[in-house]
Amino acid sequence: MMKKPSGVFDESYPRDLALVRTPYRWALLATLLVALYALIPLFASKYYLDVLTNIAITAVAVLGLQVLVGYTGVVSIGHVAFMALGAYGSAALSHHLGWSFWVTMPLATVLCVAVGMLVALPALRVRGFYISVTTLAAHYIILWAILHGGNLTNGASGLSVGEVTLGTFVLKSQLHFYFLTVTALALVTFFLNSLMRTKYGRAMVSVRDNDLAAEFLGINVFGTKVLAFMISSGLAGVAGALLAYYQGIITVEQFAISDSIWMLGMLVIGGPTISGAIFGVVFLRTLQQMVLAGAPMIGTLLPALGGSAVAAFMQIFFGVVIVAFLIFEPRGLSHTWQIVLNKFRTWPFSY
Amino acid sequence: MAFFLQMIVSGVLTGTVYALISLGVIVVYKSSSVFNFAVGGIVALSAFLLWQLVGDWHWSAWLALPVFLLALILLGVLIQRLILGPLTGQPLMSAVMATLALGDVFTGSTILFWPGPGRYFPDVVPDRPLHLGPAVLSLHSAIILATCLAAFGAFLLFFHRTKIGLAMRGTAEDHSLAQSEGIKVNRIFMLSWGVAIVIAATAGVMMSLLYGVSLDPLNALGLKSLAVVILGGLESVAGAFLGGLLIGLLETLGSGYLDPYVGGGSGDVIPFVVMLLFLIFKPYGIFGYKRIERV
Repeated sequence: MMKKPSGVFDESYPRDLALVRTPYRWALLATLLVALYALIPLFASKYYLDVLTNIAITAVAVLGLQVLVGYTGVVSIGHVAFMALGAYGSAALSHHLGWSFWVTMPLATVLCVAVGMLVALPALRVRGFYISVTTLAAHYIILWAILHGGNLTNGASGLSVGEVTLGTFVLKSQLHFYFLTVTALALVTFFLNSLMRTKYGRAMVSVRDNDLAAEFLGINVFGTKVLAFMISSGLAGVAGALLAYYQGIITVEQFAISDSIWMLGMLVIGGPTISGAIFGVVFLRTLQQMVLAGAPMIGTLLPALGGSAVAAFMQIFFGVVIVAFLIFEPRGLSHTWQIVLNKFRTWPFSY
Repeated sequence: MAFFLQMIVSGVLTGTVYALISLGVIVVYKSSSVFNFAVGGIVALSAFLLWQLVGDWHWSAWLALPVFLLALILLGVLIQRLILGPLTGQPLMSAVMATLALGDVFTGSTILFWPGPGRYFPDVVPDRPLHLGPAVLSLHSAIILATCLAAFGAFLLFFHRTKIGLAMRGTAEDHSLAQSEGIKVNRIFMLSWGVAIVIAATAGVMMSLLYGVSLDPLNALGLKSLAVVILGGLESVAGAFLGGLLIGLLETLGSGYLDPYVGGGSGDVIPFVVMLLFLIFKPYGIFGYKRIERV
């Protein structure tokens, strides 16, 4: 739980309920924003801006997954399919009708929310891993539908997307997309944080902890699960739309099921909380960058294994890391972070 | 009519293979309540392993097969010992995530160690078409069908007639009761993983004898057998068989008749659609035990 530093007490209700509780934390938040918006763009190269943009987009999707997994307890293996829906939804609207990003993205999100609602229907009858299997089936069905969508989705050959325009200003460079995605991430984090403080958020947490008891308390368990699915798929749709516009062209192959498993892995590593989602994304992407940096070395060590060795190695490595985290640190990095933070906060009484 | 019969024949063949793989999932679930999402990766990895022994290093079948079986059992024991054992008592998500990640590790290893295009097993018996009325069945397919049925029968014999099979069934019913009877439950878990991997590997090898050893079809095989498991019910061996046949038939019949309208590939999605329908209307499958929530 959020502990206040020694000697700080809340003296009024607004103070107690506030998101940012002490002037010290306001300062930290301000520093973070300055670093994100001013310092990083100043010092980061194009390559790292690309990495950070990818991190931001993945983080939006993983935050959506977090709502399902961390807050409602439903392990969804089909998350990548909703990203694909969002990407293809906005791409198709942009490609065939030429509508602007600010129209296609919300529309694609609505599509994802609707499909999410459909996928949530079996939740009325089953629990536990049967829902996970439902999401797996949904993943393959959605991807198959996209692949066989004929002229609408251009199947396997890829769909090209228009550009993002703000009035007459066209977002073209790395930096522009970095700002767009980081802003999206910040807004989504704020939205989710606020959501978790409402009765819907508390309902989700109670469903995760014990859905039988939640039913007794009068919480509509099915409705809560459907709401969680809707929010989760909506956020995945936003991430997918951002990805589509960032890349300019999308194909079905880039939405493989292993990405879904990696997103779940990011939640495992980071911990099933909002900050955990972001930790997990950063951690796994950093690992990915490290593997990519070491790729030439792997190439010279094992020359017989060919070009796909790096991707395969990454897959194996991530699987092993995920299992290691499951065994040794199941509550993820955010839990460790909380412990460290609390030790500092309650110093000198950190026992 | 001939087309229909042909579809039925190949549907039965596919279905038996699915049934065998889903038996692998069910064995693990029955004993340790862990749903094995890694089955696709296991099927692929084991097929490639056998290819490595027989197709690449050219070991004789008499040497390769026992080594192969031992390796598979060892893999099962290691999985239980190193990964799922430490995860006992943790919530459901941990076991699901662990098997998912494991499946990923296996598929990654397959890409890593055997990159490039698929491989083919050397032919042991020359192929020949057999005629069943108007339908044609290749000799290889018939051998595969017979082997799968034999494997199913062997498993049933093992499960119902031997002492170890009895121990496995007892553990599947109730862990604490089994432990109180002196059954070493941990060993049973390791054994069930080993048996499950051997069964799934048999099916995978059979399939790759027909279609060649390559990752994506084998992975897809594993995933579709999840649909079979849902259809037949998680606790039922008979359900696996019936469910496998049903899904195999539906898939071949469906793709046979629907493919011209959809431009091909409908066979890939039919098992999942069926699975989804069953999850909505009859989630515990045909033979599964209904879970009644009691406080």
